[in-house]
Amino acid sequence: MRKIDCHMHVNGGPRRWGWGDNDRVIDAADRLGIEHLCCSIPVTRGLPGPEEVRECNDGVLEATRRYRGRILGYCYVNPGHQRAALEEIDRCMNRGMIGVKLYNQYRAWDPTVYPIYEKAIDLKVPILWHSGHTLDRATALAVGQPNISDGTDMARAARRYPEAMIIQGHIGGGGDWEWGIKAIRHAPNVYLDTSGSVVDDGMIDLAVREIGAERLLFGTDMTMEGGVGKVEDAHLTKAQREKVYWSNMAGILKKGGYFVP
Amino acid sequence: MYLDVNAWVGRWPFRPVPVTTVSGLLRQMDRHGIEKGVVSSLHAVFYRNSQAGNEELFEETKRRRDRLIPYATINPNYEGWREDLKVCQEDFGMAGLRLVPQYHNYRLSGGEAREVVNVAAELGMPVAIPMRLEDRRQRHWLDVAPDLSSGEIEAVVRACPQATFFILEGIGLENSALARDPKLRERVYIEISRFTSVLQESIPRLIEAMGPERLVFGTGMVLKVPTPAILKVEALRASKKVKEAIAYRNAAKALKVKM
Repeated sequence: MRKIDCHMHVNGGPRRWGWGDNDRVIDAADRLGIEHLCCSIPVTRGLPGPEEVRECNDGVLEATRRYRGRILGYCYVNPGHQRAALEEIDRCMNRGMIGVKLYNQYRAWDPTVYPIYEKAIDLKVPILWHSGHTLDRATALAVGQPNISDGTDMARAARRYPEAMIIQGHIGGGGDWEWGIKAIRHAPNVYLDTSGSVVDDGMIDLAVREIGAERLLFGTDMTMEGGVGKVEDAHLTKAQREKVYWSNMAGILKKGGYFVP
Repeated sequence: MYLDVNAWVGRWPFRPVPVTTVSGLLRQMDRHGIEKGVVSSLHAVFYRNSQAGNEELFEETKRRRDRLIPYATINPNYEGWREDLKVCQEDFGMAGLRLVPQYHNYRLSGGEAREVVNVAAELGMPVAIPMRLEDRRQRHWLDVAPDLSSGEIEAVVRACPQATFFILEGIGLENSALARDPKLRERVYIEISRFTSVLQESIPRLIEAMGPERLVFGTGMVLKVPTPAILKVEALRASKKVKEAIAYRNAAKALKVKM
């Protein structure tokens, strides 16, 4: 079954994720039957300036040129540098990127992020949020992410911007996934991606039960075998699996004018 | 064909697990081509008296010994553990044991761990140690068990030179002494469910460090789904012989079971 990985990364700019050349990404995708990988290079700690953000996105752009049609790019920005962030989104979209990536610099509902939502709505592109629900603030601080957003934060933002296409990143990314799923039950414009290292039995099934297969997007976030394996093991119909692997994300991309062949 | 060295049966106290019974586990194994599984009781992790969980496990698996290899869960902090271990071996036919020091409130580098591991070695029972049972970032507020470190495991492997170990749910061991030190690795098997064949390629690096004969297939069922681990074997760039060794031959030889 054809697959679009909606949550992946590449090496580039100032960032190295733990493999060498990005040929390894393509090699991994080939071995697991993944056709397209939507990739970003976020800054994962602190508040980066516009120059560092640009370097990250230049790394993604380089990968999209090198692996044309296989690697699709998200434009990562720090909403705290508002004018630079909006200009950076324009620069990246003009070079063929397909969405916006936000990390943990601000909570999803923070007014600082409002202009980014408005820009993404204008462009009809999705916003992929790094996310996770940790047990308490102390745990979030311990992992260096005091402003990490969870499903509750996503739903709050989605109520303010019902036209936005918000992707709650990596339900298997290591937080309380039951919380993450329940929180977006009544937020129809929040999609959920399946990526992350957690491959708990019951996780994908609960997501389908609570929000429906139409809002679930296949992703790996670098957990390649686990990413495919957990969708394979979920109790989905063939039609549901096809939506999760392919057509849900293909539909999102199409709204922004990007047609996957 | 697969031999899974890392299966569990029972309920997990902090969330519903879809498969909780031996019959459910066997159906999962059938669906995925897993011929045999080493299984322990999740209840034995959480009961004060682990032996009650071992007794349940014995009852539930005694008619399915053709497929399931039950391992005792022993808490060396609890009254009567030596006698319990003997009962598990002699009466219940359990060929090995699992230790969960992170849930049973002792340290692997301490005296209790050395004592139980040395007794297991005397009885010829391999010792399986999961580095974790659940990702800490999603932990329940009552679950305060930390992940075990490779250093803690290394300490007990060094301290008990007669024992054989299965390291379950391991990660980041490619550069550890467990993989690199010939004197340690000859007594250690590493289960692959948290390593990777593609992208980070930690399984190829483990093979480079310690040879394929020390790697064994495991899934983490019933807590985790099995296909991720299966894909790691399938996607591994290695000969059929090496893949089969990891999938079942290495474990079958170590556990002395026929496949």
